[in-house]
Amino acid sequence: MLQWRDRSPQHWHELVNHEVCVTNRDQQRFEGRVFTVDPVSASVVLLSVQESERLSVRVILGHAVTDVQILRRGTEETERQMKSVLLPDRAQSLSA
Amino acid sequence: TTLPSSSSSSGSADEEEQRLRAELRERFLRTLLLMTGKRVRFDMHEHVRVHARFGASDIDVLNLQVCDLETPLGVQREALLRSQDVIACSFEV
Repeated sequence: MLQWRDRSPQHWHELVNHEVCVTNRDQQRFEGRVFTVDPVSASVVLLSVQESERLSVRVILGHAVTDVQILRRGTEETERQMKSVLLPDRAQSLSA
Repeated sequence: TTLPSSSSSSGSADEEEQRLRAELRERFLRTLLLMTGKRVRFDMHEHVRVHARFGASDIDVLNLQVCDLETPLGVQREALLRSQDVIACSFEV
């Protein structure tokens, strides 16, 4: 089976906007919605809402990732919400 | 020699791959920009957790530059963390 770092950009891109569970080498698990996967380092950026209702951003370094499983699929609404928080500049330029 | 007819389609496949890479990379760089100056928790191996203010990373994400790194031995004003030693880093927005 392909190592996580050797996956294709297509494979990484297909995970964007979905809720996933990332497993690392120490068998720790991280859950959240995929904002992106860095094509250089294979690092995964996950978003999750904290109990305080603040948004938590977590970067899991690509070297530590062993497995990523999709838990729930995202919608256009969840994609729009992510962009409005993390890509505000681009949202403005597109709407101008 | 003539190029095989499939060359044009593989060319557009390369372009598509490049487009996806660019989109993924832009999102990642914007995440790093957002992280700059924020207090970040670093999960290291052996369940060690440290906090520091994130400064920058190099282009290959091999090193992370931080300040006010809180270690069990005291606070380091400036430090470089090797990415290989870090499992995850997290912050709130």
